[in-house]
Amino acid sequence: MKPPLLNLININKYFGDVHVLKDISFTIEQGEFLTLLGPSGCGKTTLLRCIAGLESVHSGDILLNGSSIKGIAPNKRNVNTVFQNYALFPHLNVYDNIAYGPRVKKSMKEAELKERVRDVLDLVQMLGYEKRMPHQLSGGQRQRIAIARALINEPAILLLDEPLGALDLKLRKHMQTELAHLQKKTGTTFVYVTHDQEEALNMSDRIVVIDQGKVQQLGSPRDIYNNPVNLFVTTFIGDRNIMQVEVLETKETHSKVKLGDNIVSIRNPKQHRLESGQAATLAIHMDKMRVSCDETPNALKAEVLSIHYAGSQIRMELKVDDKMITVVEYQKTDCECEIGDLVYVVWEDHGAILLPLEDSGVEREV
Amino acid sequence: MQTFKRNILAVPILVWIGLLVGIPLVFVFVLSFLSRDSLGNIIVQFTLENYQRVVDPIYLRVFLNSLLLALLTALVTLVIGYPVAYITANLEPKKRAFSIGLIMLPFWISSLLRTYGWMILLGNAGIINNVLLAIGVIDRPVPMMYKFSTTLIGTAYMLVPFMIVAIFNSVDKLDRSLLEASYDLGASKRQTFFNITLPLTIPGIAGGFTLVFIPALGLFYVSDLLGGGNTIFLGNLINTQVTRGRNRPLAAAFSIAMIIVALLVISLYSKVAKDDREGLFQ
Amino acid sequence: MRLKARKFDTFYLSLFFVALYLPVLSVILYSFNASPSTAQWTGFTFDWYRMLFRDRVIVEAFKVSMEVALITSVLSAILGTASAVISMWVTDRMKSAIQGMMILPLLIPEVALGIALLIFFNALRLPFGHLTLVLSHSLFCVPYVYIMVQLRLKEIDRSILESARDLGATTWQTVRTVILPLVIPSIITASLLALAMSLDDVIISTYMSGPKTTTLPVHIFSMMRVGVTPKVNALCTLILVGMFIVVGLSQLFNKKQHKEDL
Repeated sequence: MKPPLLNLININKYFGDVHVLKDISFTIEQGEFLTLLGPSGCGKTTLLRCIAGLESVHSGDILLNGSSIKGIAPNKRNVNTVFQNYALFPHLNVYDNIAYGPRVKKSMKEAELKERVRDVLDLVQMLGYEKRMPHQLSGGQRQRIAIARALINEPAILLLDEPLGALDLKLRKHMQTELAHLQKKTGTTFVYVTHDQEEALNMSDRIVVIDQGKVQQLGSPRDIYNNPVNLFVTTFIGDRNIMQVEVLETKETHSKVKLGDNIVSIRNPKQHRLESGQAATLAIHMDKMRVSCDETPNALKAEVLSIHYAGSQIRMELKVDDKMITVVEYQKTDCECEIGDLVYVVWEDHGAILLPLEDSGVEREV
Repeated sequence: MQTFKRNILAVPILVWIGLLVGIPLVFVFVLSFLSRDSLGNIIVQFTLENYQRVVDPIYLRVFLNSLLLALLTALVTLVIGYPVAYITANLEPKKRAFSIGLIMLPFWISSLLRTYGWMILLGNAGIINNVLLAIGVIDRPVPMMYKFSTTLIGTAYMLVPFMIVAIFNSVDKLDRSLLEASYDLGASKRQTFFNITLPLTIPGIAGGFTLVFIPALGLFYVSDLLGGGNTIFLGNLINTQVTRGRNRPLAAAFSIAMIIVALLVISLYSKVAKDDREGLFQ
Repeated sequence: MRLKARKFDTFYLSLFFVALYLPVLSVILYSFNASPSTAQWTGFTFDWYRMLFRDRVIVEAFKVSMEVALITSVLSAILGTASAVISMWVTDRMKSAIQGMMILPLLIPEVALGIALLIFFNALRLPFGHLTLVLSHSLFCVPYVYIMVQLRLKEIDRSILESARDLGATTWQTVRTVILPLVIPSIITASLLALAMSLDDVIISTYMSGPKTTTLPVHIFSMMRVGVTPKVNALCTLILVGMFIVVGLSQLFNKKQHKEDL
């Protein structure tokens, strides 16, 4: 059987006494767009740098196409990085920047090189900019050149370290689409680091959620979004209302839980088993909830505390059994309620999930 | 192993400077304890005589003269240089660059030429006397050369750019919003200067002081040309003992004394400007 | 009130610059005075300049100074740059050791350093002349190159070097293709400064000169001791002009560097 393109096996890394990567293991397949997602300081960039060879690992192994690259210097690894600030050589023009890799490796004749530079410039839609110096380019253009400079080496994996972080919001959205498109077009495997969940959900084939040096969850964007496996992922991805409930009865797919005098049926987590009588965490996406004026089955009784109209969306603060929750609705509400009214909150089934109660973590800031 | 391999490249550099600075200093130190015969030849015989002579009243006077000169030079350059640095730092960009250029340019002008300029200006037949005579303020030349103050003018003139650059760097680093906050809280310009600006530029002042004081101890050509040997300074003394007196052990003892003074000033500097460890030469 | 303060500022600054440049301008002016005394202006002349070129001793001293300064500045450029670049890779402790060693020669009063070197070279029985002059001058020139190059290196984004590694460059290739091109303007400026400092040094050169190899400043110093003569004015003026050409060159390189910075 063909080995995976990249195989990370129990990677551990320390900075002094700080354990920054803890037993990280996962594989990356040929041609996929994989995102390392996590808050700043979680270790995602360090992991990327370990793959690039810019940091060494203390234990564990990194296999590229089945053979270890652990002791191999970054200049000998067939992976390339797009740095957060692009790191274009300020004294070289666009052409020489892109030609840098092949030239230091003496891997191409000048004529072939010229052809290849043309190709990658075409790929990033920057033909005609060969003679420009980096300081004459805009942020987005530098970004494209940095990508072209990496792609010309035909790396087995392209590592991107928050490449859109320095761009303004509008350009960032545009570049997201373009990057995803570029990845599909070239078929190059992308490993992309970001702290921006929206970026991760939009572009990736798979997402690795990392926190405190540990892999928290690995899965498709849809899976991560709908089926978080722990409280960290639940609170980090999407905006959810988190409530503590008591499990009354658990069945194959759903469980009956009690919140104050409300008894509702909620989806079970995929990877955990809940026991009757236990306390559990209920998490519901704010934008998957809806307010109804009429009594509805499988709903939470709530009191309206405030209503904010913000453009296309309506944001409501409600009180459910002494607990504040937020509901975000995009369409006009079914019921014209006012502050102080008693209403019923319902939700789409896949927007809500139960999790076993975690000992630590509940009060953790996100 | 990896770090060892990297560090080994640095060894030649350390050896090179160590050889050219460290060993000579050891030599001077050893020599300062040796005697000489009547012909001026050095004999390997331990003695403290050279150091006894350093504190001998005649030589002590030379020592104190030098300290006084260095101290006054530092003070004069501070008083003259601080406003220059302060005003320059607050100029609009174009004028500022011009002013900095004018302050730095003397670094490139021969120091002998700059000393010589004062000889031409201050001499009995010099420009200043000529002008004063011509407009009738005086009827005979006023002697201005060959005094302690002439040497002071020379050393201060020579070293004032160092003071200005050091202070300028620290005024420039000053956060403007602190001054605005001070005005906003009701302080006058004067109060702001003494309460905010001055304390925050102390590292610059200390740096400038060090950069001026140490060379001022040994600029023998300035005191030779402008002071004319009327007041003897450490630099002249060492120089004469080496070039003419042929008493190298004594010169060595004075050099050691001079180095000790310099080191004291530097350690004082590093106490005052703790956060600015590398600041002295940058 | 404000305007008055600003007027005072301008006045003070102008006064300072007049005082700073008056001695220099006087030297230049009187190099063209026909009378050998500064007591009177008797007309414009180039005679003193002509006399210079006929003075064998001066021409010889000038040659010595130029040779020493050129060798010193090249040597300092190489050693200073190498030290700064090597400092990027060594451990922090080694780095501060290098830094301390570099600053050391600048902290010792020049007279003391001169005496120390005199005694040392004497003990080694080195012939006083070009060799001792270059060695001693490089001692205060290398640190300046080191400091200036290091300041420039600090400005270089670490990720630019990592990116060169990442694209396949070896350490040596990184130094050659990225680091050196980025610091070359600083190296040139610094070695021009080294050139100027070597050409200007009086104190150390006094002790390092050999019986037949006197540097120009040492010779000028002995001329000045005798008193004011327009020949010295002319000589100083020429040196000044030469130095300004050097400054002009270094400014040119500085400008280029600033243009390339991102």
